[in-house]
Amino acid sequence: MAPLRGVRYPLRMPPADPFPGPPPSAPEEATLIDIRHVSRRYRRGVDEVHALEDVSLRISPGRFVAFMGPSGSGKSTLMNLVSGLDRPSEGEVVVAGQSLGDLDEDELAAWRARHVGLIFQFFNLIPVLDARDNVALPLLLTELGKAERHRRAETALRVVGLDHRLDHRPNTLSGGEQQRVAIARAIVTDPDLIVADEPTGDLDAKNAEATLGLLRELTDAFGKTIVMVTHDPRALRFVDEVFHLDKGLLLEGSDAERASEAIRLAAGGHASAGARP
Amino acid sequence: MKYAGLVLANLGRNKLRSLFTAGAIALAVLLVCLLMTMPAGLDRLISDLGSNTRISVHNKAGLVYSMPQSFTRKVRQLDGVLAAVSMTWFGGAYEEEGKVTFPNFAVEAEHVGSVYPDYVFTPGAVEDFVRHRDGAIVGRKIMRQYGWKVGDRITLRSTVWPANLDLRIVGEIADDNAPMLWINRTYLDETLKAAGRGGLGIAGIIWVRVDRPERVGTLMSEIDEMSRNSESPTASETEKSFISNFFGSLKGFVTIILIVTALVSLCIVFIAANTASMAVRERSGEIAVMKAMGFGRRAIFGTLLAEATLLSSFAGALGVAGAIALTRALKTVATLGPTLGPLGNFTVTNDVVTAGLALSLVVGLLSGLVPALGAARKPVVDALREVF
Ligand SMILES: Nc1ncnc2c1ncn2[C@@H]1O[C@H](COP(=O)(O)OP(=O)(O)OP(=O)(O)O)[C@@H](O)[C@H]1O
Ligand SMILES: [Mg+2]
Repeated sequence: MAPLRGVRYPLRMPPADPFPGPPPSAPEEATLIDIRHVSRRYRRGVDEVHALEDVSLRISPGRFVAFMGPSGSGKSTLMNLVSGLDRPSEGEVVVAGQSLGDLDEDELAAWRARHVGLIFQFFNLIPVLDARDNVALPLLLTELGKAERHRRAETALRVVGLDHRLDHRPNTLSGGEQQRVAIARAIVTDPDLIVADEPTGDLDAKNAEATLGLLRELTDAFGKTIVMVTHDPRALRFVDEVFHLDKGLLLEGSDAERASEAIRLAAGGHASAGARP
Repeated sequence: MKYAGLVLANLGRNKLRSLFTAGAIALAVLLVCLLMTMPAGLDRLISDLGSNTRISVHNKAGLVYSMPQSFTRKVRQLDGVLAAVSMTWFGGAYEEEGKVTFPNFAVEAEHVGSVYPDYVFTPGAVEDFVRHRDGAIVGRKIMRQYGWKVGDRITLRSTVWPANLDLRIVGEIADDNAPMLWINRTYLDETLKAAGRGGLGIAGIIWVRVDRPERVGTLMSEIDEMSRNSESPTASETEKSFISNFFGSLKGFVTIILIVTALVSLCIVFIAANTASMAVRERSGEIAVMKAMGFGRRAIFGTLLAEATLLSSFAGALGVAGAIALTRALKTVATLGPTLGPLGNFTVTNDVVTAGLALSLVVGLLSGLVPALGAARKPVVDALREVF
């Protein structure tokens, strides 16, 4: 793993805010994400699917949290709401002081570009662009010139330990390397929030651990807030907090503890959740 | 502009497909350009055939109706008329009974030379035609066809008049575009009188040569005005429009060309649209991720549309260049022999170039529109769900 703790993270350098428009009102408060009584329902023919029911939670800045739960429990739905990809049927989502319900689709897109870095299970790099251009892609939404875009992309690739693969296209990289390029792409805009949906789902054990370690480093070294959806019991060793979902409900108290215990058992007792405060 | 790299990279993603599509568009644009040169080319062909100071006068009711021969003399006296000659269908058949194998007319021998100063005759032909009552002047094409020489004697049996005329060929029209035979009007007139038919009182067509091109218009209306209240009102036309009438319905032909052009254009829209929608579909994952990153509807729409438009404009430019090269080559070929001459009339003008490029631009825009709009409008969560 790249020795991140020594690296100066030079992404937020002048121009401090490369995005057009007024600077964000980033309040230094204890809550980065505030989910208030959020429900999300989908119409499926005549039926209504309750993907999320009255979920409330808060996430502080600089934390690495996981959403866990069985398939169909609403993890991705919740993550989509947190990252401004989707809007709730009821309730309010406030991220970095911005109530996402107030934004229309284009405003939401601009908000995501400025505040959110996204990582997916299938890395979804653009096959015709090399690693550097893939990482620089989100910077097309900024006012930075080409040289600066490349410089920042190279820095982000150095952070994930891939600065020797700048000119490689995705199909010449291993799965683990592709996921690291995708992580570099998620951090290149220096977002407040990184969201990852099953980032280790398509990786072998070694690469899964490396990816989780890298995400942990991003929190520790640069104070990034990371929200990750995962099935992976290994994740328990790396995250600060786990939110358990079941059938669209957020488990609390003894239910949540029981869920954590079940995951720990499934992982053969190797994982140790709550090792970090 | 900063999206240029992305657009180009995407075009190069499936090189073979881009190449095939570009090839189809280029060929279609080439075809459209060639088709567009045709109406202008035909027009020029007719201009070459017709002189711009000759007028044809015929019965308003149609070419098969005649006018009184006295009208020719009246026309001849008009101010600005250099010469006029009447031509009357003789309908003579050679060898084969009752079958007219080439047009033949009775003309006024003493006037025909001055109406057609631009025709090239064998030396002394016109003078001999005037001198010999039974003389005939024959187009080169017919001479060749029947193996005739000046001085030969032939007999034409009229299918219209009760007259079989023994003729002596006194000259040749050295022009492949004049495939006709002229006999002396006086000869036919006297033959008819001898048969107790009262002579040839009519004129089929009157050809009039005007002194200056800009007088053509006024003289045509003057002539038609003169005959308006007579038994056979006339219609005058320039030789150019007379020939195009004679050549059949050129307008109908041009319409067909335009319809074919439109169909070919439509066809390439479909080809290009197919490519554009395949490109969008195979990339739906990346498009979803780009939207998730914060690329707005306009950026997605713009890059996809730019991709389709760039491809078809590039192909269109190739097609136009191909059309120019091809017509140039035809022009070179046209100089090789007189029968190939008409090939040189087709030129890719600036208008055709503009139209060809505009067409390819429109094809690109139209073909990219639907897939790009679909991709841009799809909500980001739905797009992501389809992929993951
Ligand atoms: N667009 C949609 N239309 C209809 N139903 C949907 C839609 N999106 C999600 N759902 C439903 O909402 C529920 C929660 O879906 P979600 O994707 O959040 O689950 P998940 O916890 O991420 O599951 P997995 O672990 O399989 O990814 C599921 O029952 C799903 O079928
Ligand atoms: Mg999911």
